[in-house]
Amino acid sequence: MVSVINTVDTSHEDMIASRAVLPLQHDAQMDYYGTRLATCSSDRSVKIFDVRNGGQILIADLRGHEGPVWQVAWAHPMYGNILASCSYDRKVIIWREENGTWEKSHEHAGHDSSVNSVCWAPHDYGLILACGSSDGAISLLTYTGEGQWEVKKINNAHTIGCNAVSWAPAVVPGSLIDHPSGQKPNYIKRFASGGCDNLIKLWKEEEDGQWKEEQKLEAHSDWVRDVAWAPSIGLPTSTIASCSQDGRVFIWTCDDASSNTWSPKLLHKFNDVVWHVSWSITANILAVSGGDNKVTLWKESVDGQWVCISDVNKGQGSVSASVTEGQQNEQ
Amino acid sequence: MEELDGEPTVTLIPGVNSKKNQMYFDWGPGEMLVCETSFNKKEKSEMVPSCPFIYIIRKDVDVYSQILRKLFNESHGIFLGLQRIDEELTGKSRKSQLVRVSKNYRSVIRACMEEMHQVAIAAKDPANGRQFSSQVSILSAMELIWNLCEILFIEVAPAGPLLLHLLDWVRLHVCEVDSLSADVLGSENPSKHDSFWNLVTILVLQGRLDEARQMLSKEADASPASAGICRIMGDLMRTMPILSPGNTQTLTELELKWQHWHEECERYLQDSTFATSPHLESLLKIMLGDEAALLEQKELLSNWYHFLVTRLLYSNPTVKPIDLHYYAQSSLDLFLGGESSPEPLDNILLAAFEFDIHQVIKECSIALSNWWFVAHLTDLLDHCKLLQSHNLYFGSNMREFLLLEYASGLFAHPSLWQLGVDYFDYCPELGRVSLELHIERIPLNTEQKALKVLRICEQRQMTEQVRSICKILAMKAVRNNRLGSALSWSIRAKDAAFATLVSDRFLRDYCERGCFSDLDLIDNLGPAMMLSDRLTFLGKYREFHRMYGEKRFADAASLLLSLMTSRIAPRSFWMTLLTDALPLLEQKQVIFSAEQTYELMRCLEDLTSRRPVHGESDTEQLQDDDIETTKVEMLRLSLARNLARAIIREGSLEGS
Repeated sequence: MVSVINTVDTSHEDMIASRAVLPLQHDAQMDYYGTRLATCSSDRSVKIFDVRNGGQILIADLRGHEGPVWQVAWAHPMYGNILASCSYDRKVIIWREENGTWEKSHEHAGHDSSVNSVCWAPHDYGLILACGSSDGAISLLTYTGEGQWEVKKINNAHTIGCNAVSWAPAVVPGSLIDHPSGQKPNYIKRFASGGCDNLIKLWKEEEDGQWKEEQKLEAHSDWVRDVAWAPSIGLPTSTIASCSQDGRVFIWTCDDASSNTWSPKLLHKFNDVVWHVSWSITANILAVSGGDNKVTLWKESVDGQWVCISDVNKGQGSVSASVTEGQQNEQ
Repeated sequence: MEELDGEPTVTLIPGVNSKKNQMYFDWGPGEMLVCETSFNKKEKSEMVPSCPFIYIIRKDVDVYSQILRKLFNESHGIFLGLQRIDEELTGKSRKSQLVRVSKNYRSVIRACMEEMHQVAIAAKDPANGRQFSSQVSILSAMELIWNLCEILFIEVAPAGPLLLHLLDWVRLHVCEVDSLSADVLGSENPSKHDSFWNLVTILVLQGRLDEARQMLSKEADASPASAGICRIMGDLMRTMPILSPGNTQTLTELELKWQHWHEECERYLQDSTFATSPHLESLLKIMLGDEAALLEQKELLSNWYHFLVTRLLYSNPTVKPIDLHYYAQSSLDLFLGGESSPEPLDNILLAAFEFDIHQVIKECSIALSNWWFVAHLTDLLDHCKLLQSHNLYFGSNMREFLLLEYASGLFAHPSLWQLGVDYFDYCPELGRVSLELHIERIPLNTEQKALKVLRICEQRQMTEQVRSICKILAMKAVRNNRLGSALSWSIRAKDAAFATLVSDRFLRDYCERGCFSDLDLIDNLGPAMMLSDRLTFLGKYREFHRMYGEKRFADAASLLLSLMTSRIAPRSFWMTLLTDALPLLEQKQVIFSAEQTYELMRCLEDLTSRRPVHGESDTEQLQDDDIETTKVEMLRLSLARNLARAIIREGSLEGS
């Protein structure tokens, strides 16, 4: 049973009496702790809300993009309060909170076309951002200190365009010994990307620092809209979810023992485009958002089959939120 | 794709139904947010959303109920106690311990029920009152199911005692009897009370024959005409053979006696002894286990499982556990009489009577909104060694799967998450990694909370999480200009890079303000100083200042020199160090030896010959240069003078 517990009204400014008409939100993301919410929309703004304790306070309204903003991504809190946003204006902007105020910290304008997706790497790798663009390239921004970002670009990653990027969880190869300070363990950095060439590609960083295409996963018959690499729960398998314009969602698994053989399993064929897939924190539930106005939640059952456990539907009707004493007291 | 037994539940998000827009979502640590959006990426997105809200939805709202919190807290204690039960214990002593645990859980549920009942009565808003009342019935159902599971699975009552337990079970859950009894007995003329015969009947239905007899004696007193048959009925009630605790007779003996008694009752029926009193005749039929007679009392029985137990009491009191399910199914069918269909609760109870534990757990999981019940019950049953392992992807068996779900739900709550930690501890397969993933997401709003989380991680040797949390806190402290705090966090995180960063800030602050903040911390760094070169320098530099303050000039001087020659001091700081040397050079007594002076001069020349070019404007550069040149000149002068004095002193006799 799912209950609505809080709503954040993105149309109200605190002081405005009449409802402000707000354009469509394209993306919204909770921060690491679920205390802040970043949203971005076609009005070129990125808004940040504080949503603690059921409240909603607008903390910042960030302007800087010159076109609709498609996606936002929070970096790991150990690097401070950092947010990345990407937009139709071909730019990626990194925002930072310093002394209580949010400011533009860096702007990356290295793409020739709309940047569709941004994703921060696992914090163990440092502060690294992957960006996928409609010009078919993927760029990787690495923070090297003192406001400097190093850029690596993978050109022609996907013909026509790249729609999504998702990092693999950090896994240290070999035994997990406590490394002495200052010495970074040898991580093998990987990420997945989905593109308009109907492919999902897996990329690996080589020893010389260059990124190489490691694998091509073919199963979709139309543009891949989103990819999501599942968090690691200590099992030897890796899992990736992908969704596409062709209405299909696939779950790809790889037995790390044999390595490099990814086998797809069809989760479901929807009647419309599937836009977004995302894993819960412990990777036991996959949420899928599709053109049929629903968000469905899926779980793997006993025998490895995926079962739909809930439907979150937008539509008319009231939701009976269960009354708790807390709410009661507030009234 | 596997078929679920039921359709997945659909949750509607309030908002205008729109065919144009889709729903976007994102996962939070404990919840999910959804908002209306359009995934079509057009440049000019003129579309205005019909629903400008972003919704945050959560699966488990029970976690937020104040009263249920007691349930969670107390059951947590019982759970831990259960895990620690000596595995060596077997047989009777183990069983009695497990039964005790089960009763503890049940009493916690009952306490919760009671409290919620009070709140329901006191509720001012009728809608709230109804809400609480329905919660009470859910809890009541939970206790009902748990009780039955205790009898059948944990107590494992054999034929004979089984019926006694079931009678207790029914008496506990059909409680109108007591209030009815109070009503009737409290009246002036009990036997003339409207509900008198109802009371007697229900007492008989519940097998409370002694009490029924007492009632009948009142009737006998009140109407002497029926005294005779009342007495006969009373005798029948008194002589019904039952198994009582401490009874030494065997089951077969009991059966024989009961058969005998049953036949006696038959005879009375045949002889129409009670024909003059329809009430008594009906009671006799009930005691003969006549189904039709029992079904006439549907209202008093109020549910099919009461019907079942009464039926068993008066037709097959020595029923064996494995035969239960047959009686259960037919009782349900007879009672419902085809008029209504079974509810989820009925199915769960049936599954229990069929000893199908997995089905019980499955149905409960579907029917209940919270994992609490199935997680704890399954865990207990697992301790009774009743569950075979189903190999599941998440959790190697059902017990672990359910505990993981329950514990994850707890982590969504700002304080109940601490309970969740213990549950994860007792999940051998995926507990640790789940804990690792969840614990990093706990917001560290206060120092206290952060320390609590860290303690939990350190106790479990979760070094990665410790490091990550310390780094987050260090970063937070730096942003709030609490350098001391930042430094101690980065030391705890063993983060050399960050320690260097913070040390630099300290040094910068010193240059700007001429004094150190957080002296205590820096003075007591100890071996932690070795974490990074910069930190070591900071510690040693502070030590220099201390020595100077204590007038240990010689020591201070050598320390100062060593800081530069050993290259611990960053180059940018050398000028400051040399400037610090000035007062030592200008002292009356000679502090720096000739050798040391030569070293200092070498450092100075080193510094001045390789001056980096500043990127400032010409005028500023000139000004800076001016200041710099003056400083350098002063230093050269002091060094030269000191050199002269040192040479003279060393050339003369020592000690003069």
